[in-house]
Amino acid sequence: MSHNDTTPLYQSSQSDIDEIENMMNDGFQSGPGTVLPARPPSPIRPSIPVSSSPFVQSNLPPLPPSSSSSSSAQKVTPVPVPPSLPPAGNFGSSEGPKTIGGSGFGSPPNTLTEPVWDTVKRDLSRIVSNLKLVVFPNPYREDPGKALRDWDLWGPFFFIVFLGLTLSWSASVKKSEVFAVAFALLAAGAVILTLNVLLLGGHIIFFQSLSLLGYCLFPLDVGAVICMLKDNVILKMIVVCVTLAWSSWAAYPFMSAAVNPRRKALALYPVFLMYVSVGFLIIAID
Amino acid sequence: MQIFPPNQGNNARGYQTLETPIEGPEQQPPNNWKGFFNVYSYTQYFDVDTDVVLNRLMSSLYPTSGDFFNKIDANPDLYGLVWICTTLVFVFASLGNCATYLVKKRTDSNARWDFDVNYINLAASIIYGYAIIVPLAFYFSLRYMGSKADLLRFWCLWGYSLFIFVPASLPLLIPVEFLRWVIILLAGSASSCFVALNLRSYLETNNDLTVVMAAAFGLQMILSIFIKVWFFP
Repeated sequence: MSHNDTTPLYQSSQSDIDEIENMMNDGFQSGPGTVLPARPPSPIRPSIPVSSSPFVQSNLPPLPPSSSSSSSAQKVTPVPVPPSLPPAGNFGSSEGPKTIGGSGFGSPPNTLTEPVWDTVKRDLSRIVSNLKLVVFPNPYREDPGKALRDWDLWGPFFFIVFLGLTLSWSASVKKSEVFAVAFALLAAGAVILTLNVLLLGGHIIFFQSLSLLGYCLFPLDVGAVICMLKDNVILKMIVVCVTLAWSSWAAYPFMSAAVNPRRKALALYPVFLMYVSVGFLIIAID
Repeated sequence: MQIFPPNQGNNARGYQTLETPIEGPEQQPPNNWKGFFNVYSYTQYFDVDTDVVLNRLMSSLYPTSGDFFNKIDANPDLYGLVWICTTLVFVFASLGNCATYLVKKRTDSNARWDFDVNYINLAASIIYGYAIIVPLAFYFSLRYMGSKADLLRFWCLWGYSLFIFVPASLPLLIPVEFLRWVIILLAGSASSCFVALNLRSYLETNNDLTVVMAAAFGLQMILSIFIKVWFFP
């Protein structure tokens, strides 16, 4: 599991690979007899909010006590918070797409019993950091292919729903249809754009790309709010053009890095088309 | 020859060898539908570069050359079909709304104009329906009549034939009724000639099939008139 592996990692993210590597490097106390469980990423993976209840209790204690040395390969006895275990706590949580926050395997926080505000704050801070990474100008930005390792889908979800709500609010007739069209266009559009890159032979991780396209909507959200507050057509056009350019500029490095350079335009044109159509919706709805 | 449904990555560059792996005379032929839900088995239909796509788009603007099938023979693509149709949906929905706006403002400058979101639904149904169903219908009817037909190439042809409506939509904004009719008839006939002449050169002279050509021409003209009537009244 090297960081330089360019094989697309489906349904996983680089942060999981980092954590697994850390785990392997920390070593298991019971020596060579320990075998990695057959499905190590299952309780840790934040990607799909599968209800992993049978496996919640079965996480891999990083330093398995000698008493339960062989249990890392099987399910631990289903005690909710087994007091006999070292203060390793529970990693997996069945509360949805939450992660550990990259704290490694030292003394991981107990995400099941922490205050709700901590959970929300962690997710919000991740959304903000992803936003800064994707949308704001950064001349020292590292290789765009590795950016957004900690992708998540909350941020894109908020932005899409917010844009739909703003458009629906500013429409004077057929409000629900406007919301439906905006939401469907953006959600289906993100999926189709990702499929387009995959079909053109590009290398991109499906959910990472969805996350990215969602974060690149942030400038258009800002533009929609401004257009809702001020109703002048000329101002709207200027605002939409500026935010459109900003969104496309934000999405450009990620999409173009994913495909063969001879097909860059083929991969970028649909992105541009989607943002132009959303921009047009913003201008036209009054 | 590329086949549809796709086989699971067995085709190098889309060519299926004629010898299927036959283990024994009683063996069933390999299941062609195994790769149906795998995205990677469809990459063979999108194996084009930017310059290839641009070349095909430009050649769709010249209706009389008749060599489109030679051009796409080695490598027909569905990229043109998908994204030209999507562009058309967006163009018709947006410019159609603009056109009604201009007409309303011209006749009565105080009239209230509302953005009609249903244009998007309508445009999507018409364009996608036409571009998918008409080549399918031609494929089946030509196969029924015994002549050669290839579904993928038909989809490619019809997809690229719709490209001319994209630049033609811009002058359609001018709110002069006569001018709109002239423009749409020109664009429609160019597109229809493109389809009909290329079909003729593909089918290679068989007098029974002038009906097919005429049908293709007619359907494309009907589409263009429909566009005019619904989106740019």
